[in-house]
Amino acid sequence: MAAESWLTKFPEMERADLVAIRKGLDAAYRDFSRAWGETIEALFDPLLYFLVWFEKLLLASPWWLVLAVVIALVYSASRSWKLSLGVAVAFVLIGYFGMWDNTMRTMSIITVCTLLAIVLGIPIGILMARSDKMRAIVTPILDIMQTMPAFVYLIPVVMLLGIGKVPGVIAVVIYAIPPVIRLTNLGIRLVDKEVLEAAVAYGATPWQRLWGVQMPLAMPTIMAGINQTIMMALSMVVIASMIGVKGLGQPVLKSITNQYFTMGLFNGLAIVALAITFDRVSQAYARRTQRHMEGREDA
Amino acid sequence: MNFTRFFFISAFFAILALPAAAAGNCGRVTIADMNWNSASLIANIDSFILAKGYGCDAELVPGDTMPTGTSMVEKGEPDIAPELWNNALKDAIDKGVAEKRLRVAGKSLSDGGEEGFWVPQYLVDKNPSLATIAGIKANAKMFEHPEDPDKSGFYTCPAGWNCQISAGNLFKALNLADDGFELVDPGSGAGLSGTIAKAFAREEPWFGYYWAPTAVLGKYKMVKVDFGTGADENEFMTCTSSAECENPKVTMYPPTLVQTVTTEGFATRAPEAYDYLVKRSFKNAQLNELLAWMEDNQADGNIAMEHFLKNYESTWTPWVSAEVAGKVKKALAGM
Repeated sequence: MAAESWLTKFPEMERADLVAIRKGLDAAYRDFSRAWGETIEALFDPLLYFLVWFEKLLLASPWWLVLAVVIALVYSASRSWKLSLGVAVAFVLIGYFGMWDNTMRTMSIITVCTLLAIVLGIPIGILMARSDKMRAIVTPILDIMQTMPAFVYLIPVVMLLGIGKVPGVIAVVIYAIPPVIRLTNLGIRLVDKEVLEAAVAYGATPWQRLWGVQMPLAMPTIMAGINQTIMMALSMVVIASMIGVKGLGQPVLKSITNQYFTMGLFNGLAIVALAITFDRVSQAYARRTQRHMEGREDA
Repeated sequence: MNFTRFFFISAFFAILALPAAAAGNCGRVTIADMNWNSASLIANIDSFILAKGYGCDAELVPGDTMPTGTSMVEKGEPDIAPELWNNALKDAIDKGVAEKRLRVAGKSLSDGGEEGFWVPQYLVDKNPSLATIAGIKANAKMFEHPEDPDKSGFYTCPAGWNCQISAGNLFKALNLADDGFELVDPGSGAGLSGTIAKAFAREEPWFGYYWAPTAVLGKYKMVKVDFGTGADENEFMTCTSSAECENPKVTMYPPTLVQTVTTEGFATRAPEAYDYLVKRSFKNAQLNELLAWMEDNQADGNIAMEHFLKNYESTWTPWVSAEVAGKVKKALAGM
């Protein structure tokens, strides 16, 4: 056999150089977390206090009160007795099988994550829709966020902020925010050019065009994005619990390591029940507001 | 995640291997390459020696304690688990051995694994009393809970691991809750070591469960907290390590058995190779040295294996016959 050449073996970087690069970057990150960790942690403190407060609120309130509030929210959003009844049955079953506290913890963190994703995602989506350059920058970042294995960024975040709720929220938001950004962008871009021209002809300002024409017409697409965001946030619950976020993810992890299949299934189903509740309610709400607007146009 | 990956990969290799002719009398051997450094190093060493010295068709398959152990008992695959921690999988191993599906070849770590409650060295340097449990309790306030400013945090073993039970029982026995401590579940091994890395980066107080020899304890100097009781092995086995323990007593962790486990099929099929596994055993100090070398060079198991076989000849040659040692050395020279 001929001696090794670049033809038979890929011309790799010298191992020593590669190690130097890896160690150099690791050390740089360590220095960064040493220098800035506490400042950044302090920055996130309000979020942490809010998360802790919200979780304590849900845990400390009597179960029937929480249930009543949830049902009231479901009904006011969907105006459907069938859906409200379904949610009530699901929550009663969750409580009956001893998963109430964990479900409350998961619900509190997912609610915050979803709200955060929407509050951050929709403006980014709007910016993306208004500028092609912005879209060219944001799209690859979204691709990275959706495909980068969570642990690659989770452990550096843990080094910076410790374990618990805040790193959990960051991980969930990073993973779950892309659909709402993408679909906000898409929805606005799909709005009929002629409708926009008509709005301009009536003398609408850019602000009026955005909020009076583009956003309402893009709403069904944006709602689809929000739905996807909720679903993805819930599917991240288990990963988040790997960095110490309490909730339904923890018993799932426990059952995986010990092969308690039924326990895993129950807790998994509780996550599914939460997901379906969030999904159906937001969809019903979107449909209802949409119908309402159609009605106004007809009138 | 590891679970599914493991099954996919082992299934894939199983299909690949069907037509492969048996090399030597040892045949195809699968070795679990666990996802932590020391086990990965040992797996690579086994793979090289079995392949070059015994003519086995050795294959590394990714693994983790739980899925690998279970698969070995239930399916007889993979053949060798080079570093199984008895504390994590005691029942399954005992059952497998009793049913003649598994065989314990020997101790991978001759001193056994070391578990305990640890605090960073830099804390003890400032305040030597922190090396004892009384000192920890007296200074409970400094160990901040990550989410609750009114409480102190004790980082326990991740959910679902066996050590979660023992750490929880000791937490109860030591009455740590009375001093404001609360168990903080880090969720995963990576989460737990992440909290240690964070504490060390900023020289913050840290108090929690960990085990050695590990890359983490090789890299971050920690002191094992003394409970002042010594290790009561009987108490530990019957009560501390059991979830049903109603009235746990304080005891230090006795050394954990860390074993090389093989399937019964492999042990009967390749008695000479099995004999090597019986002898292959590391001292903790030596393994720590190797782990530190791996850490310094960011080396994976394969590179560390080469380093070990080339530089620690006097360690590994007694594990094999002179003839096998010759074959391995020849293969090494050709690398």
